Amino acid sequence: MPLAFALSPFIVLGVGALLLMLAESFAKQRAGLALGATIIFLATAACSLGLWWFGVDHIEGLEALSPWLVIDRFSLFFFALLCLGGALASLLAGGYLPEHNLDRGEFYALLLFSTFGAMMLAASGDLLTLFLGLETMSIGAYALTAFRRASPRSAEGALKYFLLGSFAAALMLYGFALLYGATGHTDLAGIASSIAQLAAHTPNPDAPVIAAAARAPMILLALVLVLASLAFKVSAVPFHMWTPDAYEGAPTPATTFMAVVVKGGAFAMLMRLLLTAFHDPQSASWSSGWPPALAMISVLTMTVANLIAGRQESVKRMLAYSSIAHAGYLLVGVVASIRSDDGAGSVLFYLLTYTASTAGAFGALILCGSKGAEAVSYEDLAGIGRRHPAAALPFALFLLSLAGVPPTAGFFGKWFVFRASMDAGLHWLTVLAFLNSVLGAYYYLRVLVFMYMREPAAGAPVATPMRSGYVTAALIASAVLVLILGLAPGKSLDIALAAASELGHS
Amino acid sequence: MIATYAPIILIITIAFSLASLFFFGHRLLGGAAKFSPGRMEPFESGSESSGARHVKLSVKFYLTAILFVVFDIEVVFLYPWAVRFKELGWTGMGTMVGFLAVLVVGLVYVWKKGALEWES
Repeated sequence: MPLAFALSPFIVLGVGALLLMLAESFAKQRAGLALGATIIFLATAACSLGLWWFGVDHIEGLEALSPWLVIDRFSLFFFALLCLGGALASLLAGGYLPEHNLDRGEFYALLLFSTFGAMMLAASGDLLTLFLGLETMSIGAYALTAFRRASPRSAEGALKYFLLGSFAAALMLYGFALLYGATGHTDLAGIASSIAQLAAHTPNPDAPVIAAAARAPMILLALVLVLASLAFKVSAVPFHMWTPDAYEGAPTPATTFMAVVVKGGAFAMLMRLLLTAFHDPQSASWSSGWPPALAMISVLTMTVANLIAGRQESVKRMLAYSSIAHAGYLLVGVVASIRSDDGAGSVLFYLLTYTASTAGAFGALILCGSKGAEAVSYEDLAGIGRRHPAAALPFALFLLSLAGVPPTAGFFGKWFVFRASMDAGLHWLTVLAFLNSVLGAYYYLRVLVFMYMREPAAGAPVATPMRSGYVTAALIASAVLVLILGLAPGKSLDIALAAASELGHS
Repeated sequence: MIATYAPIILIITIAFSLASLFFFGHRLLGGAAKFSPGRMEPFESGSESSGARHVKLSVKFYLTAILFVVFDIEVVFLYPWAVRFKELGWTGMGTMVGFLAVLVVGLVYVWKKGALEWES
């Protein structure tokens, strides 16, 4: 019984998703599915927060789950974060789908199942569950991208995402196979101890009969493959090419889901792999390990994404490039975590602020659109500050949060990541990240200029403002979260640091 | 050390030379005849071809094939359980009932959505 309590987030989400699917096939009208999905997400988040408060160490029988599932504070934090993102995405879908004639209930079932996969990624302690969670999350995301069946742009984005994502999963499997061959373990803790024994030149009875000279290059090759595949999933440059097309083609609630939940799950997977399996002194060293590669990737990501985002004509594409840039800032925190105690915690806190800000930004963009037509280019947003202030004001708040302006949440997210990387002694990386953050402010402020200081072109159809209770509720929730995190981040930061401290002890 | 790879190198060399022979031998032996409209038509034993060129298939073929694959894989997972039924006991039964329940939900969904209707 206590074990079922520990698995309750998964059980609630899984059973809820199945019931929603049944309800959707038997229901006569669509109303209420969005609310149902949101309630399921919030119930799952409540279960994980309840487990946190109860103290997950007190539950006996957790050893039976490991190494496949590791339910520690890190997992519980991500459960709550991913379900928050999923709840916001389903609220946005509740408003967007009827407006754009896409109102089919499968959307919510896909959201729930995909979040289940992302939660499994955060709680995995074994290469097999890692891959299982990755594919569950990704296949749902592919289907969500293609949801607008009649649009060729949607199909194009989904095809690009699917092909490149499958390719990345194949690379990852190849890396996993090499890891298993070199270490004889599939659980992350076993891999870590095996690599440490290899570095210490002690004999390892678990490793299969391979010449010791062959094991280190195998592990290095596995690290390269896994790193490339992870960089694809978090959309880091130069593995980011799928992101703008997939984000632009997908219906905006699906884009929100991808930007928030899929990215969160991918970062959970990245941290689980790099900070557990590859955390031994040699693999995590600056001279012969993954930190310099990841630092280079993060610098490239921030710079390239910020430069290209400024040249975009479409607001949705600009937000896609902005989420790529935020992945770059997050990677700075991951690199800092090898030498700084706060590094991993700052990444988790940044993910929380990024979730609230991005979900809100996409939600405000939804409100700027109208029947059947999204607000695509900057000119579509001209003058919205006067025509539709209920959409423009939250949009401004979330854009300022993404740019990192105090007193919003994004400022503290960036501040803690930069402080962690300064503590780690990575001064050059911090300076580059800081300069990129300034560079990034340009395209966020450009939207503000168009919204408040331009008039709509003469003869352009002035759309009736879109009104939706669901989207408004999501915007209010995101705005409250952004303001609370911006004005009083202490408690949330403590939670993030407590969650991150459990990472190396699986 | 290189001797252990000799068979593979031999196979690759033979395959490569055979493929190159077929590819370039065609040109060496005289190449294709010149283009003419009569030679370009599809072969129909002398009669003229008729009918549309592109047949638009209904999507029901794809649906049936995909549903078959999914439920066939479900059956594949049932076979090992059937072989070791007694040893797996009540735990195995519970696990498999859970697995089957998820798939039954999928079947109900597919049924209600009309994907099992062939004539529509």
